[in-house]
Amino acid sequence: MVNFLLRRVYLLCITALILTVIAFSLEHWTVHTQIEGNILTHYLDYLVSIGQGDFGLSITNNEPIFRTGLVAFASTLELCLFAFLIASVIGIPLGVFAGLERNNGLDYTIMSIALIGLALPVFWVAIIFTVLPNAIGWMMPIDGNISPLFEVPVVTGFLFIDSLLVTEQYQFDAFINHMAHIILPSSVLAIFLISEIIRLTRHAITMVMKSNYIKAALTKGLTRRQIVFRHVLKNALPPIIYQLRLQISTIISFSMAIEIVFSYQGAGMWLFASIQQEDYLVLPSAILIISGFILIKSILIDLLLVIISPIKRKSLYADQ
Amino acid sequence: MALLDIRNLSIDIITAQGKIRVIDKATLNIVDGSIHGLVGESGSGKSLIAKAILGLHNENWIVTADRMFLGCTDLNKLSFRERRKIMGKEISIIFQNPRSYLDPSKRIFDQMREVLPNKIAKKRFIKRMASKSAHYLAIKELLHKVGIQNDKVVVNSFPHELSEGICQKVMIAMAIANNPRLLIADEPTTSMEAVTQAQIFRLLYKLNQLHNTTILLLSNNFGSISNLSDYISLIYCGQTVESGSYKQILKSPMHPYTQAMIKTILAFDEEVDHKSQLYTLPGSIPPANQLPIGCRLGPRCPKAQRTCVMNPEAVNYKGHIIRCHFPTLGEK
Amino acid sequence: MLINNEFNEQKIQSPLQYIWSIFKSKNITVIAMWAVFFLIIVSIFADSILPYSHTLQHPEMRLLPPYWVDGASVNHILGTDDLGRDTLSRLLKGMQLTLLGALLITFSISILGLIIGATASLMKGVKASIMHHFLDALLTIPTLLTAIILIILFGVSYENSLLAVSLSLLPQFIRGIYICIENELNKQHVIALRLDGATNLRLLRYGIFPNIIEPLTTLLNRVFTMAILEITTLGFLGFGANSEQVELGYLISKSLELVYLSPYLALFPGIAIFLIIIVFNIFSEGIRHSVIEGEE
Repeated sequence: MVNFLLRRVYLLCITALILTVIAFSLEHWTVHTQIEGNILTHYLDYLVSIGQGDFGLSITNNEPIFRTGLVAFASTLELCLFAFLIASVIGIPLGVFAGLERNNGLDYTIMSIALIGLALPVFWVAIIFTVLPNAIGWMMPIDGNISPLFEVPVVTGFLFIDSLLVTEQYQFDAFINHMAHIILPSSVLAIFLISEIIRLTRHAITMVMKSNYIKAALTKGLTRRQIVFRHVLKNALPPIIYQLRLQISTIISFSMAIEIVFSYQGAGMWLFASIQQEDYLVLPSAILIISGFILIKSILIDLLLVIISPIKRKSLYADQ
Repeated sequence: MALLDIRNLSIDIITAQGKIRVIDKATLNIVDGSIHGLVGESGSGKSLIAKAILGLHNENWIVTADRMFLGCTDLNKLSFRERRKIMGKEISIIFQNPRSYLDPSKRIFDQMREVLPNKIAKKRFIKRMASKSAHYLAIKELLHKVGIQNDKVVVNSFPHELSEGICQKVMIAMAIANNPRLLIADEPTTSMEAVTQAQIFRLLYKLNQLHNTTILLLSNNFGSISNLSDYISLIYCGQTVESGSYKQILKSPMHPYTQAMIKTILAFDEEVDHKSQLYTLPGSIPPANQLPIGCRLGPRCPKAQRTCVMNPEAVNYKGHIIRCHFPTLGEK
Repeated sequence: MLINNEFNEQKIQSPLQYIWSIFKSKNITVIAMWAVFFLIIVSIFADSILPYSHTLQHPEMRLLPPYWVDGASVNHILGTDDLGRDTLSRLLKGMQLTLLGALLITFSISILGLIIGATASLMKGVKASIMHHFLDALLTIPTLLTAIILIILFGVSYENSLLAVSLSLLPQFIRGIYICIENELNKQHVIALRLDGATNLRLLRYGIFPNIIEPLTTLLNRVFTMAILEITTLGFLGFGANSEQVELGYLISKSLELVYLSPYLALFPGIAIFLIIIVFNIFSEGIRHSVIEGEE
C-alpha cells in the first residue's frame, strides 16, 4: 500500500514538473518578463517563485494572481460539486434502472434522455436557462454568485462555507441567496453530468449483469433485489468511478463555459475577463492551478478505488 | 422413479440471421439417486439443456417442452419467482470455470452465508452478530465435507486468491448446502489438473453414495465419466441420440454415433498398430446456423440412407431409448 | 483420408455483410445514416443552395420571425436578424463551417492519433516513458483551456480555432487509442502473431486493427462530439469566427443581446448543433452495436 502510494506520488511529481515546463514556456512566449540570462536559470527562478506561491501580479489591479485564481477556482469547484451532487442523486438510480431493465420501454426512455443530454451544447442550454425562468415568471437570479448586497469576506473561497461564517451579520440570508444563484448554472451542468452518469452506470450494470457470478447468484435462489444490492452495485461502482475520473477535465471545461454565460465569478469568468484585458499572465497560473487540482484528485480517486475494490488491490500486488 | 422427466425440450435462439433451433426435441429421464451422464461434443448444447432446466435463459431464447417435471412439480407452469425458490433448494448447479461464478468483490464467507438454509434473524443487528459464529460453524462443516481443510484461510479470501480447484470445491459446498435433490455438474473439471479432476469426480461420487444426491453430469469426454455414471445420454448437435443405462450403452450401443464414440475411447492395453489411423467419424460438427435437416448426424453417418432426411422418432427398447432409422439391433 | 469439407454448400457471410445485416435491421440507425449523409451533402453544397448570401442585408425586413408566426414573410422561411440577414442562409452557412470543420478535425486527429498512438504502444524504454509522462501532463489540462491558450498564441481566426481544437483533442484520442492497442497486445493471438515473426506493421494491420473497431468508433464519435462543442464554444466566446465566417456558436453569441426581442435567433443554431450531434451519435452507436453483435 505504501509502495503504491509512493509510486503514485513519484509519478505525480514528474507530471507536475512537466506541467511547470509547459506553464513556463507559455509565460516565456506570451509576456517575456525577463530578458537577460539563459532559459535554464529563468526556469529555476520560476520554479522557486511557484514554490513560494508567487505567480506574479495582475496588470489590471495589481493583486497576486495566485490568490485570485485560487478563489475563482474554488467557486468553480463549488459549482461542479453541487452539480455533481444533483446529478448523482438523479443519474445513478436512473442508470441502474436502465441497466437492469435492458431493452424495454423504461430503458429506451432513460437512454433517450441521456442521449439528448449529451448532445445539447451546454452554453446554449445556459442561455435558454437564463431566459426561460423569467419567461414563465420565476424570479431566479441569473448573474453572479451572490447578490452584491451581501459583503462576504473570502475565507475559504467556497461561498457556501463563507456565507455560513457571516451568519451573525445576515443570518442565513447570504447562504440562501448564494443557493439561489448557484441553482441555475449547476442544473445546466447537471444536465450534462446526468446523461454521462446514466450512460456509465447503465454500461457498468449491464456488464455486471452479464457476468457469470450473477447467474450463480440466481441459481442460489436469491431474489432480484438481494442480487442487486449484494452483488451488482458493489461490482459496478469501481468502473463508474474510474470513468468519471477521466471526465473531470471535460466537466471543468463545461463549467467554465457555463460560468461565462451566467457571469458566475469562477475560473472561467476570471480567465475570460483577464484575456479580454490582455492579462496573459493568468494563463500559466490557470494551467498550474487547474491541472494541479486534477492531478491530486486523480490520485485520491485511485486510492478510493483501491480501498473499495479488492480486484484492484490484487492488480496492485501483481505490479510489484 | 424419475426425478427429472423432460420430454421434447426444444430451444430456439433468435439471431440476426433468423431463428435457430439449437436443441431439437431432447428427452431426458433422470432416475432418483443415480448419476446421469450427458455426453456430447462441445457446442452440442449440453449447457443449454442445463440452463433450460434451471430457467436461466436469456430473453432471445424460446424454450418449449411437452413435459418438464421435477418430482411432482411441473417446472413449465411455475412463474420465474417460484422457479427461483426451487432453484435454491431442490436443484443446484456447478459450472466450468468456477472462479468466474464467484463474486470477485466479496469474501467466500459472505458468499457462502447467502446459501445457508434458514437464514435466521436477518433484521436485528445483534442477533446477526450472534448468528455469525453459528454460520461459521455451518460453513466450516460444509467445507470439510468437500475436502477443504484450511477453512479459516479459505473463508477469509477473495475468489481471485484461490485456485480453480478450491473454487470448484467451494462451489460444490455451496451447491450442497441445502441438500438439493438434483445437482447439475456442467463440465466441472475443464481446465483443471488431472489430480484435481480426480478429486472432484471422487467428491461427486461420494455425494451420490452418501447423501443419495442425484447428479446430472455433463461432459464432453466420454471416457472420463463413463465409469462414474449409472445412466448415460448422448447428444449430438442438439438432438439426443441414445440414452440408456451404463451397461446398455457400453455393451450394446445401437446408434452409429454411440458406436463411434465408444471406438474413440483409447484402450491402451489393446493392440494399436504402429502409426495406424485412429478412428473418428468423417467430417466435423456443422455450424449452428447450417444444420442439416432431419437426423443431424446424417452427412457424417456411415449408415445413412435416404430416409435419414426425416427426423427419426425416439424408440424405446426396454429403457434403451434411441433415435435412429437403422439401429444395430440384437447383437448380443 | 479424412474428408473434412463435408459441407460444400456452407456459405458464411463475410463479416462486413453480417455487420450490415445487423445494422439495417434497426430502423432508427438507418434513418440516422441517411440523416448523416443528408447533413454532409447539404453542408458541402451549402453555398449553392443558400436562398440569399449570408451577408446580404435586407434593411426593410429586420427581425422577422419564422414564417409560421404572424407578421412573417415567406421569402425568409426562418426569419431575419437585426440587420435583415436571412436566418436560414446564415444557419446553413454556419452548419457548413461547423460540421465540415468538425469532420476535418476528426479526420486529421484520427490519422495523426492512430500513427502516434500505434508508435507509442509499440515503443519501449525511455522514449515511451517520456511520451507517457508528457501525455499525462497534457491530459490534466482541460481541453477548453488548452484550446483558448492555443488560440491566443496563434491569433484569433476560424482556421486557427480549428487548429487549436484539434491540437487540444489530440492527447485524449492518443491516450484512448493507446489503451485499446495495449489491451490487444496482451492477447494470445497477438503473441502468436509475434512468434510467427510478424513485423510491427503486419501486427497492427492484421492482429490489432480488426479488433479495435468497436472502441475506435466510440472514440471517434467522442472526438467528433467534443470537436463540435468546442468549435461552437470558441465561436461563442469570440475566440473563433469573425463576422464573415458565421459559425454556429458565433451566431448564438450574436443573438444573445437580441434574445428577448427575437428568441428564434438563439433557438435555431442551438437546435442545429443538437441535431448534428444527436444524428451522428445515433449513427455511430448503431455501427458500434452491429460491430459488437457481429463479433459475437
